[in-house]
Amino acid sequence: MRTALTLLALLGILLFVSQARAEEARVSEIRISLDGDRVLAAFTLRDAFDRRLARRLESGLPTSILYRLELHRDRKRWYDDKLQKNTLEAIALYDAVARAYTINFRLDDKLIESRTVRDRQAAEEAMTQIGPLPVFSVAGLPRRPRLLIKVQAELGTRNLLSFIPIAIETDWKESPKFRPPGP
Amino acid sequence: MDLREKLLRHRKDNRLIIAGLGALLLVFTAVFFYLQRGRDLPSALVANRVLLFVLWYANVVLILTVLFVLLRNLFKLVIERRHRILGSTFKLKLVATYVGLSLIPVLLLFAIATELLQGSIDRWFNTPMAPVLERGNAVAQALYDRIERDNRRDARRTLREIRGIDVGRAEERPRLTRRMQELLGEMELDLLAVYEGTDFVHAVLNPQSGLSDLPEPGRDFLGEAVATGTAARLLDAPEAPGRLVLAAVTSPSTAGGGAGDKRPPILVVAGSLLDPGLAESTDGLIRDAQSYRQLEVQKDDLRASHLLIFLMVTLLILLASSWVGLYLARRVTVPIQALAEGTRRISGGDLSHRVDVEADDDLGVLVESFNRMTQELESNKAQLERSNRELVEAQQLAAWNEAARRIAHEIRNPLTPIRLAAERMLRKKQQGDPGLGQAIEDGVDIIVREVVTLEGMVDEFSRYARMPRPRPDHVDLSRLVGDALNLYRNLKPGVEVEADVDPSAASAWLDGEQIRRALINLLDNAVEATEPPGRVTVAARRENGHLEIRVADTGRGLPPGSREKLFLPYYSTKGRGTGLGLAIVHRIVTEHQGTIRVEDNVPKGTVFTMELP
Repeated sequence: MRTALTLLALLGILLFVSQARAEEARVSEIRISLDGDRVLAAFTLRDAFDRRLARRLESGLPTSILYRLELHRDRKRWYDDKLQKNTLEAIALYDAVARAYTINFRLDDKLIESRTVRDRQAAEEAMTQIGPLPVFSVAGLPRRPRLLIKVQAELGTRNLLSFIPIAIETDWKESPKFRPPGP
Repeated sequence: MDLREKLLRHRKDNRLIIAGLGALLLVFTAVFFYLQRGRDLPSALVANRVLLFVLWYANVVLILTVLFVLLRNLFKLVIERRHRILGSTFKLKLVATYVGLSLIPVLLLFAIATELLQGSIDRWFNTPMAPVLERGNAVAQALYDRIERDNRRDARRTLREIRGIDVGRAEERPRLTRRMQELLGEMELDLLAVYEGTDFVHAVLNPQSGLSDLPEPGRDFLGEAVATGTAARLLDAPEAPGRLVLAAVTSPSTAGGGAGDKRPPILVVAGSLLDPGLAESTDGLIRDAQSYRQLEVQKDDLRASHLLIFLMVTLLILLASSWVGLYLARRVTVPIQALAEGTRRISGGDLSHRVDVEADDDLGVLVESFNRMTQELESNKAQLERSNRELVEAQQLAAWNEAARRIAHEIRNPLTPIRLAAERMLRKKQQGDPGLGQAIEDGVDIIVREVVTLEGMVDEFSRYARMPRPRPDHVDLSRLVGDALNLYRNLKPGVEVEADVDPSAASAWLDGEQIRRALINLLDNAVEATEPPGRVTVAARRENGHLEIRVADTGRGLPPGSREKLFLPYYSTKGRGTGLGLAIVHRIVTEHQGTIRVEDNVPKGTVFTMELP
């Protein structure tokens, strides 16, 4: 019985811990600006393109970096209150014949921009230097709460023990706190 | 939960198992169909991350399901074994055999297939395919690079050649056209175009090329050339086969547009149309190399997806085999358990019990035979009970008749002397006989004596009716038999009484007083029935866990036809007494849950044998 329980626990771990920290990649320099009710965010993903991701990009397979964005209300001495969340996906596709990288940006699953660049360096920069983009709206928020944005990047998957897929993710990065303009 | 409920639940379980097997069959079919389709799908789809995650979670669910089914049934089997339920060991062995028989080959197959797959993938990617494709790609790219470089050079030369021509003036257009036509021919180009900034000025085409119109190079191409001084593009040529290689350059002095120069820079585009066959080959080389790179990048995902599919099939086989094992084990053990339960109930006296279980094989025949047997047992028992009841009623009737006769006889015996004494006293009185006084004394004496006899009879009947239930205790049987025999020693000259108590029967658990009384009653009859020279023996021993006490005499034996009524109350072969002696013995033995039987002694006499538990 004890063996079975151990096995079940192991399975549980494998089932639920199916994500891994990206060893070096990190989100940095989140800059926030306000345009009326819209919150614009700009940030940079550093050291994202390791050998695995660079090879994938060069091969012409769709290469995606998924950014998860969350708008939180800052609370002292307690957990922050998540108000909204959004995703931004940068998908790059390399055409070896045309020798061009096409990068599509999808915000909340809607195409917002398509860009073509001629070299890999430019493609990497396009995928990792984001914004400023209007990612959230603060219209309708009561009073003028102190807000912050949290960003995490997911850079595809890798296989644990050759067959257990796990997502590669960065740590969450917090922006400086800010207050939306009053009514 | 009684057996019927268990059987009903078993039937439900059967339906569940059949449904489960059906579901498994569907899953197998789906997996097979998916694998067939997967062959035609691009590898990017087969090995994408969604598929990997779906496969992995399907495997996790299957692992949990297999574990649940196995552990649940293992737990049930252990519980059944602890409760010593018939068939549990057999069921455990059958399930273990099925799971073991499938587990070992399936795991071996899984290991071998996995190893083969890993080896095949590694070998495939280790073949010289990669260098060949990369060299082909390099050649194709070099060709495009060379054509681009040549076109860029020709565009620069054209830029130099038309430097003296003001391309913006309409008067200069014929001169520009002529010069561009000359250069197109000299440099063997298929297209030569001039722009002011990104605005088109003029273009000439090689009529042999098949190009009927100037292809649109795209604003981003022109913009890039204006911004950086040069740009190149590969385009599919409109209305002409082949691929168009374009290169653009701007005048170095005007590139980017100086602050003091308000006119946009002159931009020249030179284009060459690549032969369709050659273009197809070079594109094919580039695309093949790219496809190979994609496969290489997806190698791990491909390996993982195949491993997961193998694992899924392995788990499905395991699940199916364990389920089938359990199903077959139940098909065998449930009828056996039902039969065992039936046997227990029948042996407990419940002859109305029937085994209700669905089995259409040999076990079904066994169950049917069992039910037929119990039905016959039940009807025979009912018939026997009816006969016994009738017999007992007849015996009771006869006993009551005999008792009435005996009681009448016994009461009449003292009544006659009483009547005669009374009549004699009356006669003496009427005759004025002087012996009246003596007659009264004698008559009263007779009457009182006979009344005492009547009272004694009444007391004995009362004692029989009020006999207490036995109170067992440890009894020294040797001593008890010895004490009883002492009463009859030397009572009748020539009749010897002796004891033969086996050491195994020296001590017994019974009501000593009641057994002593039974022994005395039997000895009383035995001594009276034995004429000198004769012998009365009391023997006691243990036989098959029972205590056996025999009282044997060498007397006259029993009259024929008396044995059946011997133990009935008020029956006597002696023609005197109450007829309760042997009835009391029978009752004492019966109250001790024992039996008594009477047989002829050899060579003569009678033997009474009491068997006590």
